[in-house]
Amino acid sequence: MSDPVIDLQDVSLCYRLAKQRNVSIKEYLIHFVKGALIYEELWALENINLQIQSGEVIGIVGPNGAGKSSLAKVIAGVMKPTRGKRRVQGTISPILELGTGFDYELTGLENIYLNALMLGRRRHEIERELDNIVTFSGLGDFIESPMRNYSSGMIARLGFSIATAWVPSVLILDEVLAVGDVRFVARCQERIDTFREKGTTILLISHAIQMLLDYSTRCLWLEHGHMRGDGEPKAILEEYAVAMAPRLESVPEAAED
Amino acid sequence: MRELYRYRDLIWTLVQRDLKVRYRRSAIGFVWTMLQPLLMLMVLHIVFSNLFRFQVRNYAVYALAGLLFWNFFQQTIVTSMNSLKANATILKKLPVPLAVFPIATVISGVVNLLFAFVPMFAILTATGHKLTWALAFLPISVLVAVIFTLGAGLILSPLAVFFSDVVELVGVVMMLLFYMTPVIYPKDIVEGTEFYWAVRFNPIRSILEVFRDPIYFGKVPPLDHQLLAGTIAVAVLAIGIVSFRQSADRIPFYI
Repeated sequence: MSDPVIDLQDVSLCYRLAKQRNVSIKEYLIHFVKGALIYEELWALENINLQIQSGEVIGIVGPNGAGKSSLAKVIAGVMKPTRGKRRVQGTISPILELGTGFDYELTGLENIYLNALMLGRRRHEIERELDNIVTFSGLGDFIESPMRNYSSGMIARLGFSIATAWVPSVLILDEVLAVGDVRFVARCQERIDTFREKGTTILLISHAIQMLLDYSTRCLWLEHGHMRGDGEPKAILEEYAVAMAPRLESVPEAAED
Repeated sequence: MRELYRYRDLIWTLVQRDLKVRYRRSAIGFVWTMLQPLLMLMVLHIVFSNLFRFQVRNYAVYALAGLLFWNFFQQTIVTSMNSLKANATILKKLPVPLAVFPIATVISGVVNLLFAFVPMFAILTATGHKLTWALAFLPISVLVAVIFTLGAGLILSPLAVFFSDVVELVGVVMMLLFYMTPVIYPKDIVEGTEFYWAVRFNPIRSILEVFRDPIYFGKVPPLDHQLLAGTIAVAVLAIGIVSFRQSADRIPFYI
């Protein structure tokens, strides 16, 4: 087996939740003197081992709060694992949330620069791809107006166009294909296909089981920060659907008691 | 460091955005940067030259040089302190090196300071103040002030994320420092008073004097003053870099 593109070894991620949102120095000092912890620990990921080869399309499923987005953040390099090792080779294009890094007072055009620069691009690289980005977004003349006038679909289209203007080694899509109209989603899927041919590793976090079945070559099932399943998409997704189903029914049952 | 260099285009674009957003909405744009210290100066001139009768030759230039420095120092520290919090959504979702935000705010602060130099030189010539070759030293004075301010921003911006009351605390400390620094009053009026030590050992005063010497006194600051101010600034920046690097990984968890 070749060197994995993404290699997580025994990765754990811990959020320390302050009981109040932000702690003041005063409170901190009081608690420090008392020796009491003012944080609650929440382990979003525990002992995750994951090796992903180049060109794999990984579907990630799990109930809300399972740690899917935390996993994406660790792989993207936004958050450093509390324990364990993360190694990712090549460039990463993460879309963890649509509209991140946009300044809505600026025009779409100005935001193309701002956003792509935040993804680690250089100015001259952006200038070269500018026309492609504008064309792919399908925004037309809207590109010249401030983004506060954009609809959420337009924001999504621009965000996707920028993040996928260059072929990355790893593309992370966290629930981002849900918005946008049918035509745009079709074009996104086309682009994902070409990326796949070029050997890009793709991580798809989604609740859309059908899309994962169509696209992924491997599926991960996360639950309570643990890896509950990892393997062939059909098997994992079926098992996941079965496991999720009774929970949905258990709600009205409990209400009847 | 190498990562920051790779993101240099981003830093420059953030600076441009700061300036654009700041001036796009206001009708007279850049004039504001120049007007603000001038209006303040008018008030001070009336209060101090007439009421207190300071024995300061050309008080307008003395106070203006001080105010330009102080405005840069205070505004830049406050905005860079808030720069991480203000960009919370970005740094939770994109792997951007966090230091770009405080660095960009300091650079926009410098640009604003340079704009404010325009009316200052106008006043210098209007009041017949002697312009000397010592002004060639001014870029070094600005550099010292920038190094110090950047260091302070790097120290404070993570603290503002970790603790909710840092912003208020710094506001109070800034006010205290303003009175502890001879920005609008001459240093000799506090000499011999029981609080003189507070002014004397105030590191901001050293940095201010290095800034004001070439403008007001028309002289290059004495070498020992240069060295002291430089050492203070570099030390603060060193502490800033070390503390920022140590806390950077934890910032996304707290914001």
